[in-house]
Amino acid sequence: MKVKKYSKKDMRLAFWLIIPAFVAISITAFIPLIQTIYDSFFSWSLRPGFQREFIGLENYIKMFQDARFLNSLWNTIYFTVLSVLLEFLIGLGVALLMNAKFKGRGFMRAAMLIPWAVPTVISSQMWRWMYNDNYGVISNLFYNLGILEEGTPILADPSLAMNAIVSVDVWKTTPFVALLLLAGLQTIPSQLYEAARIDGASKWRQFTSITLPILKPTIAVTLIFRTLDALRVFDIVYIMTPGVQDTETLSVYNRSLLMDNIFSPRGLFGYGSALSVIIFLLIGVFTLIYIKSMKLKID
Amino acid sequence: MKKAIVLLLAVVFVVSAFAIEVSIAAGAVGKELELLYDQVEVFEANNPDIEIKVLPMPNSSTSRHDLYVTYLASGTPDPTILMIDVVWPAEFEPFLADLTDDYDYFELDQFLPGTIKSVTYNNKIVAVPWFTDAGLLYYRKDLLEKYGYEPPETWKQLYEIGKEISEKEGIDGFIWQGASYEGLTCNVMEFIHSYGGMIVENGEVVLDNENYKERAIMALEMMDSLVEDGVTREGVTTYMEEEARRLFQDGGAVFMRNWPYAWPLVNGPDSEIAGNVGIVPLPRGDVEGGRHSATLGGWNLAINGNASEEALVAAKKFVKFLTSPEQQLEKAIVAGQNPTRESVYKTETLAEEVPFMVDLYDVFINAEPRPVTPIYPEVSRAIWTETYNVINQQKEPVKAINDLIEQLKDLM
Repeated sequence: MKVKKYSKKDMRLAFWLIIPAFVAISITAFIPLIQTIYDSFFSWSLRPGFQREFIGLENYIKMFQDARFLNSLWNTIYFTVLSVLLEFLIGLGVALLMNAKFKGRGFMRAAMLIPWAVPTVISSQMWRWMYNDNYGVISNLFYNLGILEEGTPILADPSLAMNAIVSVDVWKTTPFVALLLLAGLQTIPSQLYEAARIDGASKWRQFTSITLPILKPTIAVTLIFRTLDALRVFDIVYIMTPGVQDTETLSVYNRSLLMDNIFSPRGLFGYGSALSVIIFLLIGVFTLIYIKSMKLKID
Repeated sequence: MKKAIVLLLAVVFVVSAFAIEVSIAAGAVGKELELLYDQVEVFEANNPDIEIKVLPMPNSSTSRHDLYVTYLASGTPDPTILMIDVVWPAEFEPFLADLTDDYDYFELDQFLPGTIKSVTYNNKIVAVPWFTDAGLLYYRKDLLEKYGYEPPETWKQLYEIGKEISEKEGIDGFIWQGASYEGLTCNVMEFIHSYGGMIVENGEVVLDNENYKERAIMALEMMDSLVEDGVTREGVTTYMEEEARRLFQDGGAVFMRNWPYAWPLVNGPDSEIAGNVGIVPLPRGDVEGGRHSATLGGWNLAINGNASEEALVAAKKFVKFLTSPEQQLEKAIVAGQNPTRESVYKTETLAEEVPFMVDLYDVFINAEPRPVTPIYPEVSRAIWTETYNVINQQKEPVKAINDLIEQLKDLM
């Protein structure tokens, strides 16, 4: 027991120092979370006069029979796996490049961040126009390359829409991933590479035996960050394809339940809360998988 | 000098302390907002004891809905006056002030009957109609003349004229609102009604009635063939009002379905087809019992049920002012928004300034409402999603209608 090392006086001080943060987190996170879990066992709506009724797990059972939920769950997972994978691979490549010494490196590092610095709402709208069937630059490019027919509405085509959205996310977030990985790369002392060179290790060997193992904690943090963000993706999807079922993700469906149907006499507010809990659990599960598989110590 | 300023401030403070503040959440699109500020000025000059605060709302009706539900659910007395969409009264009714007893005060007997029906739910009047809307067919006068056609009477004629001219001119035949949103519900209701079909009547699903169902399928088949045969571009599945309006205004289509707001714009200085546009009622279905149909749109002024007694009285005064014949005429001319009072349509000024409103009076008075139900958001979503599946070539019309019936039966 480490705790015993501290004197009683220090402990008291620590207690008072932690209290403000604890209160702030409780008010903004714990209490709403518990409230949401509690609400998810009820059928209710904010419509005046609606009888709040305890229905146990019925909301959860109903959810797994709801085709729209299953569809949005699949969309969310598809989006997350594809976007995080691409962002990680491209981001790692970019980080390795940026870590090398070359002229104008500082400028490149700054310029690379521009897509990430643009607010998502704005870049989504921008890309939506670029995908437009009539004057969109991407539609035009793909038509000239012979990939798409003229006038194909990319964001309305079920086989293209989700991939179009993923590519916007990759464009936007790869710089962020690269930045995190670059920070990790810079902590690797150059002596290690020197020693490896003297021992005659190839570049590939250096990468797999030095770079990757030391970078592992950074990779884990990066993947956790990105996966959690991707699992609750909302803005890109909501702006680029509003109201479309084919690309709807869990958060977008949740908004529809909680906002569009807030006064519904069918009592969907509890159902919406249940969906929020599912999103929370899904994120929790993904985080656990990462922590276990990376054998990451969280102190 | 200093004293004078203090005195001035004191006077301002005292006066404003006595003035009742009324806030109004209203549209913030170009001329509409400018006009509202002018109207507020006139009203305040005549009613020094009332102070109006304008809260401009986002452009999209979904975002407005999001904001309103947050205001109403939280129970704040602000905004005092809410500009609500024609499909919201049933959903918002428990939160709005009951205006049934003010029928005479607002002179509601002089309003278009359809608009009054749309603000009545459970025999309660919850809003005063501010301006009304109906779907219309815009057409290119110059192109129809060039190829020797009259404006189409039926969908089939529109299909044929659109196909011929679009192929020869290399532009679109007919453009409308096909994105997956409320506007698509408005569009498909017009198609279905024009073929004599019906989805919901008196709160009951009637689409499964053999006759209605058959007609609804014909309507969807027409929409489907428009897209499939290239009369309407495939990309219509991403088009809302403004996308359609821009394409039409740049000379990119022969026909367009849109609301009256587009009229001053397609004839405005930015338009390449100004002066070459005509406007007629939407075509009817090519079947016995087919009719010209337009979906009823428009916005109404409701008063927050949490407003204080004083604010309520002041708000009623302002609503009465905004819906008076003079102000409605002004709104029609400046912002292109249709009056809701019958008498305004009979004025000579309107006939001179915006002749189509007077010419198409029958369309506005006969515009057909969307289903009236407190679960409207879900009903509408089911309607637009199934329609979208058809025009996006994912489902056959028959299957889509069957699926829609099943979903609506589940909901209602």
